[in-house]
Amino acid sequence: MSQFWRRHRHWLAPTLFILPGALLFGIVIILASVQTIWVSFFDWDGVGPMQWVGLANYEQLAADPQFYTSLKNNVIWLVMFMLAPPLGLALALLLNQAIAGMKFLKSLFFVPLVLASVTVGVVFTWVYDPTFGLLSLIYGWFGATAPALLSDEHLVSFAVVIAALWPQIAFCLVLFLAGLNNLNEDLIGAGRVDGARGFAMLLHVVLPQLREVSFIALAVTVIGALRSFDMVAVMTSGGPFGSSTVLAYQMYEQSIFSYRFGYGAAIATVLFAIMAVFIAWYLRTLLRPEQETA
Amino acid sequence: MYPRPIPETARSARAAYIALVVAVLILWLLPLVTVMLTSLRSFEEVMAGNYWGWPKSFNFVENYTAVFKQTALARYFVNSLIITLPSVVGVLVLSTLTGYVLSRHRFPGNRLVFALFVGGNFLPAQIMMIPVRDLMVGVGLYDTYFALIIFHTAFQTGFATLFMRNFIAALPDELFQAARAEGASPWQTLWHVVVPLIRPALAALAILTFTFVWNDYFWAIVLTQSDAVKPVTAGLNNLRGEWTSAWNLVAAATIMVAIPPVAMFFMMQRHFIAGLTMGAVKG
Amino acid sequence: MASVEIQNVEKHYGGFHALKDISLTIDEGEFIVMVGPSGCGKSTLLKTIAGLETVTSGRLRIKERDVTHLEPGDRGIAMVFQSYALYPHMTVEENMGFGLRMAKRPKAEIDAAVSRAAQILRLEEQLQKFPKQLSGGQRQRVAIGRAITRSPDVFLFDEPLSNLDAALRTQMRVELSTLHGRLGSTMIYVTHDQVEAMTMASRIVVLNGGRIEQVGAPLELYTNPVNLFVAGFLGAPRMNFVTGKVTSANGRSASVTCGDGLTIDFHNLIETPAAGATVTVGIRPEKLHVGDRVATTSFPARVRLTEYLGRETIVYADAAPLVTSGSDSGTGVFTVQIGDIQPFMPDAPVTIGFDSDAAYLFASDGKTLSAAKPVTKI
Ligand SMILES: Nc1ncnc2c1ncn2[C@@H]1O[C@H](COP(=O)(O)OP(=O)(O)OP(=O)(O)O)[C@@H](O)[C@H]1O
Ligand SMILES: [Mg+2]
Repeated sequence: MSQFWRRHRHWLAPTLFILPGALLFGIVIILASVQTIWVSFFDWDGVGPMQWVGLANYEQLAADPQFYTSLKNNVIWLVMFMLAPPLGLALALLLNQAIAGMKFLKSLFFVPLVLASVTVGVVFTWVYDPTFGLLSLIYGWFGATAPALLSDEHLVSFAVVIAALWPQIAFCLVLFLAGLNNLNEDLIGAGRVDGARGFAMLLHVVLPQLREVSFIALAVTVIGALRSFDMVAVMTSGGPFGSSTVLAYQMYEQSIFSYRFGYGAAIATVLFAIMAVFIAWYLRTLLRPEQETA
Repeated sequence: MYPRPIPETARSARAAYIALVVAVLILWLLPLVTVMLTSLRSFEEVMAGNYWGWPKSFNFVENYTAVFKQTALARYFVNSLIITLPSVVGVLVLSTLTGYVLSRHRFPGNRLVFALFVGGNFLPAQIMMIPVRDLMVGVGLYDTYFALIIFHTAFQTGFATLFMRNFIAALPDELFQAARAEGASPWQTLWHVVVPLIRPALAALAILTFTFVWNDYFWAIVLTQSDAVKPVTAGLNNLRGEWTSAWNLVAAATIMVAIPPVAMFFMMQRHFIAGLTMGAVKG
Repeated sequence: MASVEIQNVEKHYGGFHALKDISLTIDEGEFIVMVGPSGCGKSTLLKTIAGLETVTSGRLRIKERDVTHLEPGDRGIAMVFQSYALYPHMTVEENMGFGLRMAKRPKAEIDAAVSRAAQILRLEEQLQKFPKQLSGGQRQRVAIGRAITRSPDVFLFDEPLSNLDAALRTQMRVELSTLHGRLGSTMIYVTHDQVEAMTMASRIVVLNGGRIEQVGAPLELYTNPVNLFVAGFLGAPRMNFVTGKVTSANGRSASVTCGDGLTIDFHNLIETPAAGATVTVGIRPEKLHVGDRVATTSFPARVRLTEYLGRETIVYADAAPLVTSGSDSGTGVFTVQIGDIQPFMPDAPVTIGFDSDAAYLFASDGKTLSAAKPVTKI
């Protein structure tokens, strides 16, 4: 046995090493995800027997106005989230100065990033409160009455996204600060010698060097926008009247509250299909340079 | 450096700049600061509607002890720790193993396995919700700590594997050949060569995983039900529903929930930033 | 007794054929130096001996023991890497004792082995330091020390000195030779450096394109290369090669004409070329001389460039239409090495002569046709 082990350990040991992680991830994450697609072809209440219905769930989905509301809101999230990279970059430019105390101030700027989305949700519910919220206070200064953002069907999604932007901007800020730290000093120097300054320098010398970071900030933002669930759940529970749901939340609601697991699985599959496009694009761009050198 | 540094000699310009940054910071953190202030207000003050002014009295001790005494927050807190710490340890162990194998061993399918880890890590939680919940119900772990520990360990292993693989792949290959030539077994190589060299990566991963797991809300509400196992994020949302008018207490609870990750962040900021950027940059 | 036996070893990397039918027997206590152009498979061969790469087919024996399928640690080898490969988180002492610790040897034995190695390599003062606190030469000595502590049957070195500067290199070269004399172990050493190969080796192995071209004592290889590749590879500056045609061949003699009219007569050939065949004539730079010395063969040329190296003078002479092929300078001029300082005017017309017995004749496939020359015994 020990002879056998010594002979074969060069491949046996790695196999044993990778097995726990690979099995756990394979079963709980990958297999489960595939299984969801399978479930989406069934009618299932989560407890009783599963009833094969083919594409019926998808047909129903195509006719469900709530689905289109979710889709529209996902688009709102996606578009508004695009503000995060430029705002993060702006903050990064503001903070990229070596002055005593700046380090500490920077860390304070990062704080929203490490807050739980529940915390952010609670904080902003408060800001938006029409009677005593910060918003109403500000409106009060101008003698106006604040709109009840979270109960207004037309504004609610925007209000939720703005709350979600807070940590997302902090994330982009971290990425861009790291990017600014890795700038090629010689190129900046060359730019200065060539008379570039201010915005021209940013456009022609700095931004090209931030391309990789910008790509990552963009990708992380896109994926973050499509993943949005927590803030909707905490701030509005999809309301009022389902006007702020996103696909992720609608799926949760249909499965957990309405016991329509097959239908929920179909929504999850659609969400997955949308995200898969972005994930594939992201991974391809990321893994490509490595493949070329390998 | 860009933008151009303000010269050290321009004292007043520097002071003015810092003042500007502080002003922006106050605006940036205003929502959080007001919650902090409210967590110090007395109940009477809250009832009287003073949410935004300076607190008339500081009820720090009263409010924060009240939160722990009158609500289940203490329970939630312990639950969160019981869930988060084992998950962090599990993720570190598993991802060190997977990262080591994927970075140092050539075998058919290596890239595919790696791509699955990386890709799976970006999947929306909802795509795996139903089967995972079903699985946990099936094996009797639904509404126990284990359900969340197992899920978080599995899910975070995806990101952590990416992180570890890239970190270990950047170590010089000859170190591993030397260890092998000296008769170190794969296990000895891992323990005596890899682990000491990846300490910074372990630190970064530990803080990142801690934050991710601690802050999770979705799986907390999908996989738990009872107060006995519910982590703070889900607990906080419950409290908010139950204590609608005691905003000072809700505020205190909110701050309490935020403290562990924020404290971890300030203690290990360098690792956190390095980890986040490296993790993001390489995937 | 054979220390290492390599039998018909083949190595494929996917579709790439890295080692082609390598067979070699190495005796106990030999110092084998492997040379060859970059990418020829030296490191690959060394790694297959070490067990860091598996062989596709063939057998490997170390001390009569079949080790083909054994783990590196079980083969009785130790390896020293070009980048030293010291563990940055361990002290010198821990680095040197690592192999024994992994083998779970008793502490006393490890300490004894480490202090012996430290003493041999004059590292006693450095034992508690970390690699980054050492100079390049010291690091290399630690890497060697790490090999010594394991008392291996065979030492494997992959270009161990190429990261050092010239002076340190010479010093370490001498130290390694001394160490070899002292330990008497078998050593296999890969290098790019001609001087290391010539001075350290008991036998040199010349590899090319994954194949062994020739194996032999340094001077034997230098004097009697079996083919054009080995002739060109060993020796700096490189041998001058001139393409020619066999004008007449008779028994073991042949006349070869190069360029417009230079004719060289060869005797005692080991194989007779066909009349009219294309061949290559080779002559080492130190066998050429400039001036009116009596020589069997001579031709006119012009001095293009002269390098005064102090101990010797290198003259690059243009003998157009007679051109060399594959010279170091790549210009077709002849390289002449003169053993003292001799001034030349640029563009000065000179006569270059040589003794035809000193010339080599190679067939069009590269095989050496000229007879073996006597090798100076040392
Ligand atoms: N892991 C590998 N996969 C594929 N090909 C490889 C691998 N390792 C080496 N090779 C190829 O095998 C050939 C021999 O490589 P090797 O490292 O042995 O060369 P070398 O003689 O040591 O060269 P150098 O003098 O530059 O160190 C090279 O062409 C190399 O590209
Ligand atoms: Mg090599």
